[in-house]
Amino acid sequence: MSGYATETLAFREGHLGLVSCGEGARVTYLHGMLGNPGEHAFLKALANDGWRVVAPSLPGFTGSSEPSGLRNLHDWVVAASELIDLAGVTGLPVVASSVGAMIALELAAIRPEAFGAMVLIAPFGLWDPEDPVADPFATTLTNQRRMLTADPTASASFFDDAEEMPADLLVEHGVDRYLTRTASAQLIWPIPEFGISDRLHLVKNPVTLVHGAKDEIIPASYLGKWAQLLPNVIGAHLIEEAGHHAEFDRPEDVAAIAKSALS
Amino acid sequence: MKSIFFHLMPYPELPPDFPEEHRSVWVDIDPALYDPEVGNRTYNEYLDELEFAADCGFDAVGVNEHHSNGYGLMPSPNIIAAALSRNCPDTNIVVLGDSVALYNPPLRVAEEIAMLDGITGGRMVAGFPVGSPMDTIFAYGQNPATLRERYHEGVDLIRQAWTRDEVFSFNGKYNKLRYVNVWPRPVQQPHPPIWIPGGGSVDTWDWCAREDLVYCYLSYFGYKAGLKTMQGFWKKVQETGKEANPFQGGFAQFIAVADTEKEAWDLYREPAEYFFNTCLHVYAGFADPPGYKTPNTVRAGVEGMVERAAREATARSEARKSTRGGGFPKGLSFEEMVEKGYVILGNPTQVAEQVHELATTMHIGHLMTFCHFGNMNKDLVRYNTEMYATKVMPEVSSLFEDEYEDLWWPKPLAQPARRDVPEASVS
Repeated sequence: MSGYATETLAFREGHLGLVSCGEGARVTYLHGMLGNPGEHAFLKALANDGWRVVAPSLPGFTGSSEPSGLRNLHDWVVAASELIDLAGVTGLPVVASSVGAMIALELAAIRPEAFGAMVLIAPFGLWDPEDPVADPFATTLTNQRRMLTADPTASASFFDDAEEMPADLLVEHGVDRYLTRTASAQLIWPIPEFGISDRLHLVKNPVTLVHGAKDEIIPASYLGKWAQLLPNVIGAHLIEEAGHHAEFDRPEDVAAIAKSALS
Repeated sequence: MKSIFFHLMPYPELPPDFPEEHRSVWVDIDPALYDPEVGNRTYNEYLDELEFAADCGFDAVGVNEHHSNGYGLMPSPNIIAAALSRNCPDTNIVVLGDSVALYNPPLRVAEEIAMLDGITGGRMVAGFPVGSPMDTIFAYGQNPATLRERYHEGVDLIRQAWTRDEVFSFNGKYNKLRYVNVWPRPVQQPHPPIWIPGGGSVDTWDWCAREDLVYCYLSYFGYKAGLKTMQGFWKKVQETGKEANPFQGGFAQFIAVADTEKEAWDLYREPAEYFFNTCLHVYAGFADPPGYKTPNTVRAGVEGMVERAAREATARSEARKSTRGGGFPKGLSFEEMVEKGYVILGNPTQVAEQVHELATTMHIGHLMTFCHFGNMNKDLVRYNTEMYATKVMPEVSSLFEDEYEDLWWPKPLAQPARRDVPEASVS
């Protein structure tokens, strides 16, 4: 991958992980439940499309320290605001996924200059009792993996240990993975609906929506619900053969949508 | 060594094909399986059994808290403790315990235990579990990432509420209380003994050791499997430079005692198999939500007992599915349960020897005995209870008593100051 690099920045009492790659106009990638699990195909696809991708990890997710002091969604949004400033990505176009897309929308609602145009992949935040969001935590790790991507091998960088990894690093990799899952749970447990529909009218950014047709966590019907609620939707794409993390299942397709939407 | 008659209060009439036809005994158990008439009978029989154990001379009776399940019908252990408080005047009551993080504010626990301590004249033990993932995360919607922090803050609030002698403000992360002033105050001063039931979290060992709290390993899997956990706790105690007083430790154990070993094998098979194969039929997806374990526990590779039970139950379910049409693999056999030490079985001498070995090997001075388990009928419960109380307890009750002081046992008001039985009616 062209110039793939990791960085650690001091953030509050801990640290913030940041990965970047590619050359060209800058775009932010705000990860979802899989965090930033090293070099993966979506970052590569964005880089190949001519972007300089900057991907900070939210507190507790891969590469960032545990989210102490974060009691509620307000704390998370304030942390995200501070985090994008620290990462130097404020005002850039953003591709945000899953829990990251939920945070991006919350931040965009109260800080319009936080992002430019937005590509949002299966955001959490809405709840339809007739078609509820599935519980990704009341399941085994194996099943959770199946829920996150249509093709379980697409999330290998998160779930699988590298064969050559020393034993002590394997343990820490397991702990990191556990903490990333914990951070997701902290954000969206037990029901990922915190009143965002009352704030969406404040999001003026041009938004392109992406949703995996085989998303086993957030039903595909939510694509239409977001499109109805957001005031400035410029595109909505249902991706065949893609699960919750469509950017992991179909990296080139989602990168192409991002290129079209953000260029 | 103190023997506590501990009751889980399982629902006794789950269908025989429950493990094959239902996903889990906890969280999403089919509400249609609950028969209120069975519930009415069961609660009263179980209260009778606890009162009978008290009459038999157990050092204490014990109750606990679980939600949305057929494993244990006590969403509120304090209600059961209240029902026992005036009918068991000569024994102590161990509430093991109230899942502190589920109370909003946790001050409610401080108040209710203080009430019970007042009613009983100081015969209460206050247990504070984090609570199982099924109870806390899934049934009660607590966030797994913040559960333990919320729990520790709640315990801190309760301890302050019991010990501070002025009205104070509590500005916690999760609890904001402008005026904290618990009325009534507990009879036992500064407060009833605090016991912490744990499932294997390494950070709980450390905390109990530092704070001089009783660590109780409430294992389903017997003393042979529980030894490593208790050793982990005692190592932490030693690291603090304190004496390893066995009364700072507790353990839970299934007991099956009869006149002869053969009789015990015949009598206890069905209730043991009901407990281990039906009451513990927990879906593995409910046992390990991310954030429930501390990073240190993950790093140490410690598997909680609920997690283990659920993993084994789910493995059995999957094995059954894979062999449908070819005969179901059996669940855990009674022979395995006894061989592995999940159930201590035998005649009184054999049981006493094993209990002695358990207590000395694990170095524990408080034994939570399960003389009722599974769908055991009331006559068998009384038999098991009486046999243990009259023929086993005398053989083990002197353990540790001369050598160590039990600093974590209730200290009731002396008679005649104590008043905790119904006054005779005046005609």
